[in-house]
Amino acid sequence: MEDAFMEGIDQDDVIQILRMLEESTFDELHLEMGGLTLVASKSSKKASPVEGLKSDDHESTESGAAVEPTVQASEEKPNTPQPSDLDERGFTAIKAPMLGTFYSSPKPGAPPFVAVGRRVAADDSVCIIEVMKLFNTVKAGIRGRIAKICAENGQMVEYQQTLFLVEDLDEAAETGEEENDS
Amino acid sequence: MKGISRVLVANRGEIAVRIIRACRELGIESVVTVSEADRESLPAKLADRAVCIGPPAPMQSYLKVDTMVAAALGTGSDAIHPGYGFLAEQPQLAEVCATQGLIFVGPKADDIRKMGDKLHARKLVEGLGVSIIPGSELVSHLDEAAEAAERVGYPVLLKAAAGGGGKGMKIVEHPEDLRTVFDEASVEALSAFGDDRIYVEHYIPNARHIEVQIIGDRFGNVLHLFERDCSLQRRYQKMVEEAPSPAVSPQLREAFCEAAVRIAKHIGYENAGTVEFLLDQDQGRFYFLEMNTRIQVEHPVTEMISGIDLVIEQFRVASGDSFSVSQEDVRLTGHAIECRINAESPNADFAPCPGKMTAWKPPAGEGVRIDSHCYPGYFVPPYYDSLLAKLITWGRDRDQAIGSMLAALMDFTVSGVDTTIPFHRFIMKNPDYLTGQVNTGWIENSLLKEYEKNEGNQFR
Repeated sequence: MEDAFMEGIDQDDVIQILRMLEESTFDELHLEMGGLTLVASKSSKKASPVEGLKSDDHESTESGAAVEPTVQASEEKPNTPQPSDLDERGFTAIKAPMLGTFYSSPKPGAPPFVAVGRRVAADDSVCIIEVMKLFNTVKAGIRGRIAKICAENGQMVEYQQTLFLVEDLDEAAETGEEENDS
Repeated sequence: MKGISRVLVANRGEIAVRIIRACRELGIESVVTVSEADRESLPAKLADRAVCIGPPAPMQSYLKVDTMVAAALGTGSDAIHPGYGFLAEQPQLAEVCATQGLIFVGPKADDIRKMGDKLHARKLVEGLGVSIIPGSELVSHLDEAAEAAERVGYPVLLKAAAGGGGKGMKIVEHPEDLRTVFDEASVEALSAFGDDRIYVEHYIPNARHIEVQIIGDRFGNVLHLFERDCSLQRRYQKMVEEAPSPAVSPQLREAFCEAAVRIAKHIGYENAGTVEFLLDQDQGRFYFLEMNTRIQVEHPVTEMISGIDLVIEQFRVASGDSFSVSQEDVRLTGHAIECRINAESPNADFAPCPGKMTAWKPPAGEGVRIDSHCYPGYFVPPYYDSLLAKLITWGRDRDQAIGSMLAALMDFTVSGVDTTIPFHRFIMKNPDYLTGQVNTGWIENSLLKEYEKNEGNQFR
């Protein structure tokens, strides 16, 4: 199967792939076949890398050989909030970068990383997600004020589940700093 | 079910649907793990709960042992069913389940490991008096490979010790080709399995692939459910399977099944497994090939001729029960065939064909079974294997099963993505297939050439 796919790719194939991306729910496509690399994106926004992974082997395993796929997925879904994460009230969501157990404080009995109303900077730790004794510190990835905590301490959260809603504090300053702006 | 009230289904596609349905029948709740690409999938809709475990790439979702176990514990599941592929034959998952108090619906980690190493399995089986194909120990360089190849006789197969499921094999027809193929095989084995150990085996040109379904319980009992014939392969990937095999006499059947049970009993094998053999049609002898320590894609043909639900039996033995039937009560009734409907273009060298499925109209009728996760409007993601559906028909005899299969294939409409349906129609009309005159090389050496001549046009 893989061989057949690797044999060659022509312009029609590229057009078909782009059409598939257009119809799909994904924003980006990274395709590598032999010497060819195709990177396509629906909008002009550029994905920023996952941040806040402290002790996870997540990143290092990415180049490992996948058994099943003939086409590699868009590897990084940004943990850093994107404009699309804005909910209807204008809050930005901080989402779980992985499935695991959500902890609001650095260790049992310690005060929580953040509370509602607290101002956070992009680099501030907001919680820990544990996957089988591996503790991953999650950073806010955005600055603002914590408006709501959406996950419960000690409960499992899914990949990309909303953990916090963040209220934008200084729109002008934010926009000025926004690297991802197109 | 004793000890199992909620199961984490650690898989996707048709097998996830199959497992979820078995859970419903048993009154077990199901939680299915989905990657971001599978959030809208049929398993996600059918299961009691779906949890998103990561991005589409399998390395970051379906192949992550720790994430699967965290998902099982976090959702209050007491068992994990791995399906086939992905983590099914990863001993680490079975091991972690054991330490975390989760039931792994599959064999013990140690048995997965033992049978996963093909050289180890060969040795073990030979010690039990079952023939193995003439072959070598590990060969570490070309000289050793050349020597071994001379000894077992050309043509030879170079096989990766860590391979299996038809992956990591290369044929060498003539001694002068050995050097090139040896280098290729080592490099490929290393990149595919992280293990470049290779051994040499004699290649049997006129062979059939015969495998025996077994299932073992915790008390040392092993049940066999007869054989399947999976000789119709392309690049070592099975395309059509059937049970019973048209090439196996009752005496031969007894010998196959006895050998499979002997192997499984010896290792105290628990849960569903398949012992694969090659039947040399010129010599009338059979040889052990490998053992697969999982439920297999083609398990439905066995279910159709035995009336036994293998996934339900898997849950029974995993929960510490014995089988629902005894060997004496297992009867082989009629004939069943399975066609693998893949999202591939038979007219473009079977290139994978992901995309949006604009129409999906599967056939129905007496003796027709469809195992599938597809629905109209489904987007076939490009990240996983191309299996869309398994079409299975049952008949009183082989002719009836084939007739029923052809009728069902004519009735099967899929638009938006190319499928292997036209190619299966071609097979079901072929005189060699109808009379059972095939071997493992038949599709590639004979049928494909005819298909290309016809360009498959009248079969669309």
